[in-house]
Amino acid sequence: MVYTTRQIGARNTLDFKIFIEEDGKPISAFHDIPLYADKENNIFNMVVEIPRWTNAKLEINKEQALNPIVQDTKKGKLRFVRNCFPHHGYIHNYGALPQTWEDPNEAHPETKAVGDDDPIDVLEIGEGIAYSGEVKQVKVLGIMALLDEGETDWKVIAIDVRDPLAPKMNDIEDVEKYFPGLLKATNEWFRIYKIPDGKPENQFAFSGEAKNKKYTLDIIKETHESWKKLIEGKSVDDKGISLASTTLKDIPTFSTSVAGTIPAASAQADAPIDKSIDKWFFISGSA
Amino acid sequence: MLRITTRCVTRLNFNRTFVSQSNISGFKTINQGSKYSPNFKQYLRMPNDEAGSFFHDIPLGLAPENATVNMVVEIPRWSNAKFEISKELQLNPIIQDTKKGKLRFVNNIFPFKGYMHNYGAIPQTWEDPTTEEFEGIGLRGDNDPLDCCEIGSEVLNMGDIKKVKILGSLGLIDDGELDWKVIVIDVNDPLANQLQNLSDVEKYMPTLLHNTREWFRNYKVPQGKPKNEFAFDEEYLDVPKTISIIQKCNKSWDKLISGKGLEPFDSIPMTQRSSKDIQIESKAEVDSPIPVETKIWHYV
Repeated sequence: MVYTTRQIGARNTLDFKIFIEEDGKPISAFHDIPLYADKENNIFNMVVEIPRWTNAKLEINKEQALNPIVQDTKKGKLRFVRNCFPHHGYIHNYGALPQTWEDPNEAHPETKAVGDDDPIDVLEIGEGIAYSGEVKQVKVLGIMALLDEGETDWKVIAIDVRDPLAPKMNDIEDVEKYFPGLLKATNEWFRIYKIPDGKPENQFAFSGEAKNKKYTLDIIKETHESWKKLIEGKSVDDKGISLASTTLKDIPTFSTSVAGTIPAASAQADAPIDKSIDKWFFISGSA
Repeated sequence: MLRITTRCVTRLNFNRTFVSQSNISGFKTINQGSKYSPNFKQYLRMPNDEAGSFFHDIPLGLAPENATVNMVVEIPRWSNAKFEISKELQLNPIIQDTKKGKLRFVNNIFPFKGYMHNYGAIPQTWEDPTTEEFEGIGLRGDNDPLDCCEIGSEVLNMGDIKKVKILGSLGLIDDGELDWKVIVIDVNDPLANQLQNLSDVEKYMPTLLHNTREWFRNYKVPQGKPKNEFAFDEEYLDVPKTISIIQKCNKSWDKLISGKGLEPFDSIPMTQRSSKDIQIESKAEVDSPIPVETKIWHYV
């Protein structure tokens, strides 16, 4: 499958959107990209939202038709993650697995917390810098259970199948072996990343341990089942999520006309990012 | 007569330092060539519009009572290209260092991205390679101006001239030469008034000093070089000792610029200073692409 991107507006503005296209036609980043790229070998599609070392909090928008990637806002202002020393922006290529949903109507039996109402998040650890809207094929290696403001927010750890190290990476132990210190840094990063915004430190379930590949595959399967219920219109509460799809012919919200409502590409040069985003925050006792 | 021509091509995305404003009044820059290419040069433009030398024409500005000094920014925080004041070229422009003909980029050492400070030099100082700078260490200087690491919150621009507060220094031994790293903060940084010494740095920026040492220890390991070592049992020197290092390197610079009492040495830096007879024209070009290898994270 050849996926491309359609950019509307300028990065770092409220107008900015990226739609994913298949054969030049807009599709939903949330619903229309198959979860499995190669089911037998457990290779998944990942939609990249945020390139490593950047700060803009870009995410798949749930409410807008065909779920474009947009910059999150807080009280009408564009959201940027703050730099917590020694880190600069996001430390992974950050994104989501399509066709998954962390159901906010159900508490997970082990974390005891409800889902965060989003597709499941992925941290891609390969050496390359990804781009927003890129659809990557990834090998999953493990998972951490962040409890972000009281909700379960799984973070799948994965690597691009094309990465030079990918053939050697088969389970969670390989992450520490080939990327020493990365899991510890990941744990610290998610614990402290909202402290500069005046929020408390986040917690991880399982004492911060990353679970192995098998556990990860089970969680992905569960979130895929939750998504199926959602897309079939059978969820207890779909929280206003746009379920429009241009490829899934069997679902009630399949639409051939919605693609025509999506604006044509109109990419503009990046708007500047405010210099205050360059500040490094030193969180006592973290590093 | 000196003539500076500035070609403004607004459609092209020139880097922000094309003609930059800086904190020390009146100094600007003159760019030639494409950034990240071997022909890139950034010259100093003096307040009187003559072209000048970052090495020799910016005053040291040392005020020991306030522990402040001037700094020339060579490398913005979080970037990788190794820009430095040239010793070989007339008027010492900032150029990108090369190694065996290849442009030099520092590796990203996990968890850091590029340089972890705004990195630069103290003008009118010279780490004398012809004598052992400190009795008892047995090391010669690296033939460069004193390096400094600015730790403020802003990302600074190449060619910025900043008045900075001195906080301490670390005696790096880089490839066998003594190479001081003076720790400073922009006097206009919101934290500058709270920081007087190394313990204040530790208090307001916990682990920064430790991480700085680790960064310099490991930064050449991905190129197959051994870990670097440090003089003085790896300890940072305090503000008064750092001021005396700066004074000593300023005296060495006096010797360099006057030529008096200078030992023979085969790569003595160029000492030409600004003059109305030297004309440098602005010929900026679009940036060249940065090689993809600089995006890799190295786990040391």
